[in-house]
Amino acid sequence: MALQEYLSGAELLKQGAEARVYRVEFLGRPTIVKERFPKRYRHPLLDEKLTHRRTVQEVRSILRCRRAGIATPVVYFVNYNSHCIFLEDIVGSLTVRDHIASTQQSGSCPEVELGHLAERVGQILARMHDEDVIHGDLTTSNMLLQLSAEDGDSNLVLIDFGLSYISALPEDKGVDLYVLEKAFLSTHPNTEVLFEKLLKSYAASSKKSPAVIKKLDEVRLRGRKRSMVG
Amino acid sequence: MHLTQKLELFPDHIVTQMLFKAVTNAAELRQSAVEGKINGALINPTMLVSPFQVLVAANKAVHLQKIGKMKTRSLNSEIIFNLSPTNNISEAFRRFGVSDGDNSVLVVLVHSKDDLQLLSDVSAKVDGRQVPVEDVSSLSDIAKIKKLYKVTLQEEACGTLLDAVVCRMATKDVM
Repeated sequence: MALQEYLSGAELLKQGAEARVYRVEFLGRPTIVKERFPKRYRHPLLDEKLTHRRTVQEVRSILRCRRAGIATPVVYFVNYNSHCIFLEDIVGSLTVRDHIASTQQSGSCPEVELGHLAERVGQILARMHDEDVIHGDLTTSNMLLQLSAEDGDSNLVLIDFGLSYISALPEDKGVDLYVLEKAFLSTHPNTEVLFEKLLKSYAASSKKSPAVIKKLDEVRLRGRKRSMVG
Repeated sequence: MHLTQKLELFPDHIVTQMLFKAVTNAAELRQSAVEGKINGALINPTMLVSPFQVLVAANKAVHLQKIGKMKTRSLNSEIIFNLSPTNNISEAFRRFGVSDGDNSVLVVLVHSKDDLQLLSDVSAKVDGRQVPVEDVSSLSDIAKIKKLYKVTLQEEACGTLLDAVVCRMATKDVM
């Protein structure tokens, strides 16, 4: 198959449990190919359904986010047979996770700079949740900072919408934030204040935030990752 | 003048675009295209933002042809259909295909290797002045494009118009 040959010659960026990510050139543009490969440990029918669903959800959520003004990679092409998504390669970017780590180590005034970043993340998540998009896998590795050449300003880009879905429920949004909180605090030690800033910014930017924050508090108390509704 | 791009996923396929201004025989061209006499897709360039938009449509068309899942009857009509944000085929032809009164046309050819004869055959049929394909952005009817693709104001802030258009083209089948 031409696709397999094409990918075997490509630069493999990462292999996760879910998918392999390659960097290629596609139609003359730097592109990322996310290939959800078949999982042999699953029943084949189930695997096909799940993989297809995840691919479709990812693509739908990306478009929905873009329509709301949230920066995500542009989808160039989707191959539903091999479950490959061809996305814009955000060139010259680093993950928020790496940025926080390096700023904490070497930055002159880490609290101020990271504080600004936390506020921006809070705003973007607020807009996303107001659009009823649940990311499903919020971590600092799934947020990219693209340094813009002209004005030194940076763009915050959200990636990896494989576990995303549409929901208006405050529980789901609360759990989304809880996932981020857990990931944030475990990856970046001593950042409780920073995360508080993020939540404050979220609360200030989202119209539906009081219910969501309330649910977040409840989930924290319960310590569960999934809300058992119904 | 013309723009050529190899399709990385389909090694034997090359996409060539040619742009013509001051076209006087648009009606005749459209008729020939309908009759299948022109081995290329004739597109209304005012609906295009960039040649990349055409490449995305062509790539998807070749892919669907290879797996036997085209929505239209030919590769060329599939290219035109893929440009449209909706699944209505006749509407796609009406908006993105060339109309009788048009005075510019973009020709897209999907072929193998360097078939220069094909290019000159087709450009001979067009009564107009060939210009660099990159000029297509000067012909774009931005307002019409924004309206047809339903590009929101917030979206324009987080990306270019081309981003919005390409994203919709690529995700049309599952939205």
